[in-house]
This record gives sequence, structure tokens and C-alpha cells, in this order.
Amino acid sequence: MGRRRGQQTAEGSTGPSGAMPAEGGTGLRGATPAESGTGLRGTTPGNKGRYGAFDVLREVSHWDALTAGVVLARLRPDPNLKFFTGDEEPTARALFDVLLGQYDEPKVPVTELVDARLVEGETDGWRYEDMAEDGAAWRQSLAALDDQASEVFARRFHELRRDEQVQIIQGVQDASSWHGFNAKHLWSLWTRYACTAFYSHPWAWNEIGFGGPAYPRGYKNMGIDRRERWETEEEAR
Amino acid sequence: MSRLRDADVRARNESAWLLPDGDARTNHRLRDDMARYDESDEVDVVVVGCGAGGATFMQRIARYGASVVGFDAGPHWDPDADWVSDERGSHGLYWTEPRVIAGEDPVPLGSNNSGRGVGGSMIHYAGYTPRFHPSDFATLSLDGVGADWPITYDDLRPHYETIEQELPVSGQSWPWGDPHRYPYSPHPLSGNGDVFVRGAEALGITTRVGPVAIANGRFGNRPHCIYRGFCLQGCKVNAKASPLITHIPDALAHGAEIRAHCMVTRVVIGRDGRASGVTYLKDGVEHFQKARLVVVAGYSIETPRLLLLSATTSFPDGLCNDHGLVGRYIMVQGAPQVAGRFDAEIRACKGPPPEVSSEQFYETDPTRSYARGFTLQNVSPLPITYAEHVSAQGHWGESLREYMRDYNHWAVLGALCEFLPRHDNAVTLADETDRHGLPVAKLSYTQCDNDRAIAADAQRVQEEILRAAGATATMAVSRYARLVGGCRMGRDAEHGVVDATLQSFAVENLYICDGSVLPTQGSANPALTIMALASRGAEQLASRRWAGSTSGPGMR
Repeated sequence: MGRRRGQQTAEGSTGPSGAMPAEGGTGLRGATPAESGTGLRGTTPGNKGRYGAFDVLREVSHWDALTAGVVLARLRPDPNLKFFTGDEEPTARALFDVLLGQYDEPKVPVTELVDARLVEGETDGWRYEDMAEDGAAWRQSLAALDDQASEVFARRFHELRRDEQVQIIQGVQDASSWHGFNAKHLWSLWTRYACTAFYSHPWAWNEIGFGGPAYPRGYKNMGIDRRERWETEEEAR
Repeated sequence: MSRLRDADVRARNESAWLLPDGDARTNHRLRDDMARYDESDEVDVVVVGCGAGGATFMQRIARYGASVVGFDAGPHWDPDADWVSDERGSHGLYWTEPRVIAGEDPVPLGSNNSGRGVGGSMIHYAGYTPRFHPSDFATLSLDGVGADWPITYDDLRPHYETIEQELPVSGQSWPWGDPHRYPYSPHPLSGNGDVFVRGAEALGITTRVGPVAIANGRFGNRPHCIYRGFCLQGCKVNAKASPLITHIPDALAHGAEIRAHCMVTRVVIGRDGRASGVTYLKDGVEHFQKARLVVVAGYSIETPRLLLLSATTSFPDGLCNDHGLVGRYIMVQGAPQVAGRFDAEIRACKGPPPEVSSEQFYETDPTRSYARGFTLQNVSPLPITYAEHVSAQGHWGESLREYMRDYNHWAVLGALCEFLPRHDNAVTLADETDRHGLPVAKLSYTQCDNDRAIAADAQRVQEEILRAAGATATMAVSRYARLVGGCRMGRDAEHGVVDATLQSFAVENLYICDGSVLPTQGSANPALTIMALASRGAEQLASRRWAGSTSGPGMR
């Protein structure tokens, strides 16, 4: 799953360690979402990650107040969606879960973060000539997902089993055109919004060992295999 | 030695000493006290756009005593109050008004290459400030591709030198193009830079640390860099140079006015065929500012768009567009980016993204299948940008997540490939309009075979360097970086929109001063060259127009 066949890649790039992607730290964690920022272990999406003891939220006192406010707001986005309609919501949630492999709690609230962005009309500053502006393209593509699910499986997209959802999404990635979309351009729209929301969240930073905001503290120990006092060694895999 | 030089710089550009000496980054008093001209005042100059070109131009002519108003569609940034040390939270730094991209190789805009507010794209550029090579000014004569400039490297050299001192630039002495030294010594290397240097060395490829517009030390009241890795999100430290801190403060101190949040919508042409000023929108209301001279400095998309929006009965196809050159020959640099996986932790995000460069492959090499070449540099994407890198490889779902969990093990290089200027790569007006009812810009881009050949070779060399440094896997993506061209300079009206002094051929008192005037782009980052062109153009103009009104630059 999740890798386009025939995609041009460099030799040997089959996985981060030269092997196929591993499961990634499953079952390493005992922390609950409620312990975020206070427990011994940082919260990570689906309790996956390699930096168990690392919790970027323990460092908030070292961030400037403006940045801290912006970042912490992502932990509690408005749960009341304003852009996605009640009809679109379950489709959007299922799509983001599949695109980001986010099946287990705790989850980064990707749908809420994208919804807030679409309500504001906060685009990347361009659109493809052959595609509608972002908000309209999102609505059209969610409807197309349900149409596709209905044609192939006679159910809505969010009602499908995970492997069926994956099959449909893989179909979009492999297609050149899909339900009237330039599939490459649609793929770009989906993944840009999904990745931007997910990797803006401190739980995702805990998962990948990213130190987050760095003003005014900065870094003292640059260099290969060098860590700050507050950075955590990766767990043995 | 650098103290002496600092004093020399201060005498001609006091910006770094006009910033606060403490934890605050903005001199609010200077802004509160700035000159404010009346709309009915006929000012000497209005400058449209306060980025690399416009801000430098403004500072130079203000020193000569010209009255100048600089317009910017975005804010007059305050790094303390406006910027965050966060990738997602920096969205406001980019030009995100609607634009359409088209062609066979559409070029994403926004965060990739389009700034907003005082300081322009230099607020979010990495900070690399290489010079162009002497050959860049004559690629048509030398290599049979691109275009010849109406000026030579020697015309720009003195301005390269002064701007390098004003930014100032840190780096090792430079062996390529016209060999030269830098005012400040190079910065220490992060893990990412270390990988590049070691890999290149193993292959016999020469590298240099720098050139980076971040002083290795304090400069005036600007503090030392803290190596936090957020150069592309606006420097909250005031360590990385941008016109906001390198030229605007001195311009304000010499009587310039900045009018922020003002979108210029038209250059107005009088019955005499001369520019009489500009119309602009402030809080949704249209205003007109009278001026003796108009300088358009809106960069490669908004400058052509403004000229096209300023069409009149005598310029039915847009201002300065009698020969169909406005918006044409837009260039982007191909920027294939390669990540390499190491067993050790690289933590590439620690340290400034700009560190090490190699221009060994810059010039045309007869043994290669293509003309011109590429530059290699470090880049160190933060998580969102790196997720786009991984995702562009086709990874999604659990595969994307697993590659991202490995983030700290990857070093990342980027190339800048000299894509050639082509007539069909252009900015035109789309049918769609923005919220003011003005047609938005459409950028069409298609690569040529030479472009594709350079990009493929640049990717190959990066992969070899990473492998030579010990990478066990590599991941490459194609992308683009920055924009130039669109209103190229030329020897006459059939070959350019402006002449060698940046004066437009069509309207005597209309100048263009930004990256759009570049006829070719080399494989160097353009910021330094845009500033050097602005410095040269402004001083030529000022010495003709205002030299008698004061005792000259630095003497006011």
C-alpha cells in the first residue's frame, strides 16, 4: 500500500533503512491522550513513533508566546465543522485517515484543521488551470469518491472496508484522469492539505522526533549524532 | 578588520544600527516618525513593491535626497508581533491571492517563490547570495542559448561588493566565476552541511561554505544567528538579511515613506505619454498618488500583471508591451532535490537551511549533452515540506508515516538548474478576477529538452554525493525554485522592456527594478543580483536627477 508502482525512484530507496517500511514502533507506548504534555511519554498519533520519552510539549516554556499560542491552538481545534457539510464530513474523515494511515486513537484532528483552513479560504496561492479553486475542488472530489464507491461497491466511501478504500485511493494515484479530474493535480491537492495539517501538529512532531519551535532558544549542538540536552535518543528497533 | 569595514558600511547604509539593540527587533519610533506625503504632493518617485529591488532602490535614492513613497500590498512586518517559529503558522508570509498555473510543467507559487509585505521574497528565501558568473551576461554569444544582457559582469561588480557588505555575506573565499572573498567568515556546519562536504570531497567535487546573507557575528544591532533552522519562515532574530532590516530602516531615516497594505492597481499615463502616478487600493478605497517618476518592483508576476492592467488607448496591449515582451521569458530554476538516508542521526533541521554550495557544474561543459549547468546547495526541509518530498515520491498512508518517522536520518541536497528563457513561458491575464475585480495572473510554463537534461544530471550528481557520504538509500523529487524574467532588459525596444539602466523604452519616466528584468538566470540564487541591479540603476538615475540637491550619497 501507499507506493505508486513504476514511480521513478532512485535505486535502493525501497524503504527508510533500505528495507520495506516497518510497522513503526507499534505497541511501545502506554500514554493516553489526556497525558499529553504531562506524562513521561509524549503523545503520538496512534501511539506510534520512535522517540518514546520525547515530548515537544514539555518545551513550551522555551518558545516565544506568539508561537506557543499558534501551535497549542492545534491541540484544540473547533470541533464544529463549518466548511464540510454533514454529508461530506464522513467522506473527508475516511479520506484523511487513509491518506495518512491514521486508523488508531489518538488521532491528529486533520479534518478539523483542514476545515478551518477551507473556511478561511487559505489556499497555497495558486490553482491548476484545469481545476476549480480549492474549496470547490474539495467538494467535487469528495462527491466523486462517493460516486466511485457507489459504482464499485454500492456503498458510500466511508462505509467501505479499509482495503476497499485503499483500492479506490490507489486507483486515483495510478490514474491520469479520474472523474473529470487531472488525477495528478487532484492528488497534489489532497496530499498537500493532508500533510500540512498532520505535520503541523505537535503529536506528529513527537512521532518523528522534531524539536518544534526554536525561538528564542535556538540550537547549540549541531552536527551528526549530536543532540541538545532536551532531545531524546531514538529507541532501539 | 571587520570592525573597520562595518564602520564604512554604516557611513553609507545605517540600517543595522537603526534597529533596536536588545530583545526587540523593530524600531517603532523610526516607523512612527517616518515622512508622510500628501496624495496631492507630487513626490519625486513612487516605488511599487518593497522587496529586493524596490527597497534597495528606495534606500539609494533617498540618500540622494529624492522624496519617495514605497507601496506594498502586504504588511510592514514586525518580526516580534507578526512572525512565528513555526512552519504552518508562516502562511501569511506568502502571496496567496488567487493565481492560475498552466502549461506542461505548471509551477507552484505561494510559499515556493512569492513573497508578500515589506522585504518581499527575501523574508522567506533561504539566504544564499551567490553572484552571477561573467558568462551569465552573454550566454547567447558564448553558448548559443538564452540571451545577452545589455550590461556585463563588470558593470555589476562594484554593486555586488557593496551589497555583500551591506547584507552582510558570510562564506569561504569563492573560486568560481569571478573569484572573490566575503566580508564575514563562514558559519559552522550542521549535520546536513557536513554530509554534503564529505560526500563531495570523496568524489573530488569542490564545495564552499556559504555564501549566506547571515553575519557570522553581530552586525550593527543585529544579533548573531541562533541556528534555529527557520530561515524560510522569516528570521525572528534579525540575523538573516532581508530589505526589511538591511535597506528600509536607512531609507526611512532619509525621508522615505512606506505605505503598507496598499495594492497598486494601475500606473497612470498622462496625455503627454508620461507616467503621472499610480492608483492604489487602501481598505478597499481607490486613491491616486502623484509622482514625477514611477518604479515598478513587483517581481516576475505582479510587475507584468500591473503593466498589463495599466493598458490605455495608446497602450492597448498593456504598458510597455508594444513588442509583446511584457510577461514573456519568465524563468524558474529547476530544483531537483535529493534526500539520502544515513544510519546516524543527521537532524538536518538544526542549523540554517543554507550552508554549503558548489558551482563546479555551473558553466557549459562540452563533454555534457546540454548547454549551461547547475549549482548544488544544502536544503533542510522542515516536517511539512519534507512530507511533500516523501509524498512526491508516491508514498502515502503507513508508508508516508514510516518514512517521516525516519526524518532525523535524512540529509537533503538541492540543485538549481539554469532553465532557459522561452517566449511561451509567460504571465498573462486570466479570465478569473480577484476580490477587487481585477484579472488574476496566469503563469504558463513548459520545459525544453535542455532544461530536462540539466535537471536529470543535477539529480544524478546529488545522488552520487550522498552515496559517497555513506547514504544507504536516496529519494529524489523534481521541483522548482524562484522566478525571474517577465520584463527583460535589452539593448533596444525590440529586445527588451527596459534598457541597461532599468528605464522602460516606452515611457520615459517609468522604471522596472526587480527580478523580472533578468534576461537569463544562471544557476545562482537571484536576490544579490536583483539588489546589485537596483543599486546600479538607482545610483545612475540619482546622479543624473538629484545630485545637485544634496552633497551626495552618505553625506545627508
